Amino acid sequence: MNIRRSALQALFTLIVALPAWMPAAFAGEAAALPDDSVYHLDMHLVDQEGRPFHLADRRGRPQLVSMFYSPCPYVCPLIIDTLRMTQRALPASDSSKLDIVMVSLDPERDTPARLKQVFGERKLDPATWTLARTEAPNVRKLAAILGIQYRVLKDGGINHSTSLLLLDANGRIVAQSGKTGELDADLVAAIERTLAAD
Amino acid sequence: MMFRISLLLLTVGVANAADYVNLPGGRFASVLPADATGADVDVAPFAMRSEPVTNAEFLAFVQSHPQWQRGRVASVFAEPRYLMHWQSAQKLGSDVLPDQPVTQVSWFAAQAFCESEGARLPLWNEWEFAAAADATRADARNDPLWREQILAWYAQPAGKTLATVGGPANFYGMRDLHGLVWEWVDDFNALLVASDSRDQNDPDRLKFCGAGALNLRDRDNYAVLMRVAMLSSLKAADTTNSTGFRCARAATPSSQGQLP
Amino acid sequence: MKQVIYAMSTLLALTAGQYGLAADTAPAATQGYIHGDFGPPRGEPIHAVLTTPPMVPAPTQRNYPAKVIVELEVIEKELPISEGVTYTFWTFGGTVPGKFIRVRQGDTVEFHLKNNPNNKMPHNIDLHGVTGPGGGAASSFTAPGHESRFTFKALNQGIYVYHCATSPVGMHVANGMYGLILIEPPEGLSPVDHEYYVMQGDFYTTGKYREKGLQPFDMEKAIDEKPTYVLFNGAEGSLTGDKALTAKTNETVRIFIGNGGPNLVSSFHVIGEIFDHVQQEGGTKVQENVQTTLIPSGGAAIVEFHTEVPGSYVMVDHSIFRAFNKGALAILKVDGPEDKSIYSGKEVDAVYLGDRAGSNLAAVTQATKAATAGKLTKEEQIKAGQQLFVGTCSVCHQANGAGLPGVFPPLAKSSVIAADPKRPIDIVLHGLSGKVTVNGQEYNSVMPPMTQLNDDEVANILTFVLNSWDNPGGRVEADEVAKARAQPAANPAAGH
Repeated sequence: MNIRRSALQALFTLIVALPAWMPAAFAGEAAALPDDSVYHLDMHLVDQEGRPFHLADRRGRPQLVSMFYSPCPYVCPLIIDTLRMTQRALPASDSSKLDIVMVSLDPERDTPARLKQVFGERKLDPATWTLARTEAPNVRKLAAILGIQYRVLKDGGINHSTSLLLLDANGRIVAQSGKTGELDADLVAAIERTLAAD
Repeated sequence: MMFRISLLLLTVGVANAADYVNLPGGRFASVLPADATGADVDVAPFAMRSEPVTNAEFLAFVQSHPQWQRGRVASVFAEPRYLMHWQSAQKLGSDVLPDQPVTQVSWFAAQAFCESEGARLPLWNEWEFAAAADATRADARNDPLWREQILAWYAQPAGKTLATVGGPANFYGMRDLHGLVWEWVDDFNALLVASDSRDQNDPDRLKFCGAGALNLRDRDNYAVLMRVAMLSSLKAADTTNSTGFRCARAATPSSQGQLP
Repeated sequence: MKQVIYAMSTLLALTAGQYGLAADTAPAATQGYIHGDFGPPRGEPIHAVLTTPPMVPAPTQRNYPAKVIVELEVIEKELPISEGVTYTFWTFGGTVPGKFIRVRQGDTVEFHLKNNPNNKMPHNIDLHGVTGPGGGAASSFTAPGHESRFTFKALNQGIYVYHCATSPVGMHVANGMYGLILIEPPEGLSPVDHEYYVMQGDFYTTGKYREKGLQPFDMEKAIDEKPTYVLFNGAEGSLTGDKALTAKTNETVRIFIGNGGPNLVSSFHVIGEIFDHVQQEGGTKVQENVQTTLIPSGGAAIVEFHTEVPGSYVMVDHSIFRAFNKGALAILKVDGPEDKSIYSGKEVDAVYLGDRAGSNLAAVTQATKAATAGKLTKEEQIKAGQQLFVGTCSVCHQANGAGLPGVFPPLAKSSVIAADPKRPIDIVLHGLSGKVTVNGQEYNSVMPPMTQLNDDEVANILTFVLNSWDNPGGRVEADEVAKARAQPAANPAAGH
């Protein structure tokens, strides 16, 4: 019984510890992940086409990240508009180098099929845009690391702060914007700087 | 037979099951109401550790999970002050008692600990549900004397030596919810209090989707307001020398206490 | 080394200013209100020197807008609030009120708020001189062991309160989280000999006033607005005794007087002084010749006065029970030569006859004067005695000396007086009881000793009686009365 218990303990430890070790494994030939990179948080996501990926897979290109949920009537459509506006404010050569990722706050209702529907409705460009979902505990962790606040209400609605985060190629948060419905000149400038640095 | 036992052990985790106590849950008048109409929340039955996690327990955790040791953990998960009161990354030192609640831990570190024993951080409503009780009543929040006692702790600076866990149990069998340390909750970043707390009735509608930040009910319960303020001031990687945590999980037959 | 660099850069900046680095724009063409934005900051950033109350930092003496870096740390600590009584204060910079901040209109202030790691509570700051959301509170919410920074331009001149605005706000303020920031007008304030920083606050403890030990905050009393202490600068005695403010005669004193509240309005008054100038509520217009000025809760004022005579000038909240029963009392000690033409001190300590000093007692005064000079005449005695007789003796013996038959013996043509003109001295001094026959009638009553009369008065009254109503005449002298007073009574009666 003891042996089995310690074996189980070891197995458990491995299962829990493994995700945190994974980014180091994936770093491969690239430089070690900076201490303040979001990609230390490894999580499994699924995009609007149902394709699974790890958060750290995004490493290598700057990312504009936000969180939303599809039934959101007020601000979430505005977030998409704002992201599109921001993308268009960049010169054509630059806008293709920036990825846009929106992760759902409501993974139960935002299935990949639903995300695909929204993707089509809003005519998003698959070359740069991704709508994704992940399991509930990861939603809280991602929001925590990005500094996004949210609260699920009784009726299923979600109160959440609106925040666009710019990650550099190594996953560090280099800029943040709370502006929705208008272009944030500081954010555009930060994107240009980040793209130029790579 | 062995297969079934190992399966059971896997599901309930390897923590000391006796530390978790079942709470019945139920309808609860939370300071943060369930929706904009001010509805009560429904707290599902749950189990929670009767005491905060101690230095000794957290030490065992970082020894078996070295990526959470001070100096090794990424700063995105824990700021530089993480566990700085310990003598070294794997040693408490003589100034730090094993049975004191562990402090200087970030939300990510607390979550990782709880996950390591098959649990999670409690939700704000679960914690407040348990904390509304005094020794004899499930909900003592309308008792001004009880509220004054709790306020008195908040008014003392944190410089004094931290007491050990194991204070008197409340109605639910929970200890040390008041008077020892602030405690992390899973949805600490859901409190959506404007950082200028005088703005409650003037939400910037575009800042918070869903027509504004929620209003706080029961503004006379100052202790709760202070807990909301405290958690709202923290980011997930922050630590303070008065913030600790305890874990929660689904109510199970292996925990003490009756299932509802 | 850092200090040297900053000192030198300040010196350089000042010198540059002297040599005519373009001074500020004159007031805009628009009438009256100066917008306060004098353009971007110039010169090296300046690290603001913050002072502990009651001291005030020196004037900036700049004529251009600068970047000023202010670093303020919140410290929660136990401090004395009264003799033998302590309280856990939450402080800006370790004192109540918090450190004094001094900048100039148009300055760009980079504000660093630090929350000491040993604190338990999160804090922020709202400066009333900031134009922006929450006065800075929205941008400075800081957990213990962390630091926040925000920048604002000081658009408006004036003296402003700053305070913590973290929920529950009332408790943070009641625990002492307030102070003052002075935003100088572009031309600076006029020079004075002394500038002092005083701030009133009300405090709420579960124990009574002066109940010993560490006293916790009492939320119910705070909500009911029933303070236990009302204090200047956070403690009883903070500005009295050897901690009193000081000045010399013939100096100008300026006090930046604030009121952190949380609840009370102050009626600020300096006993023995009149405010020559008051910038009421800290505003630009100056009022003159003010005795007591109101300081709103969460407000401040600037008062100035000139000292003329030495003494201890007590500063109070003139809602006077707060001064004498809750501690709202501070002292400004002024030293220097006296000036009797302005204030003489006590000149006369004279007898005040009270309700006997009626209009008809001129003769008494005359007689007193004459007796003092040693020149009292019988006529003067008779006149004085007549005035004194009325209201004292006449009550029983009647104004005409007739007495009351069977009750009070007559004095008029009295057989007793005729038999021995000096006997009345003993009767008046020691009283008379028992049987006595006057003018053939027997009286058996009690005359109490007239102990309220002094020797002069007895002498004058008896001289009057002797010379009235066909009595034998003659006079009684004060020293005779004095001698008789020393003798035991011939026929004593109990006093009243």
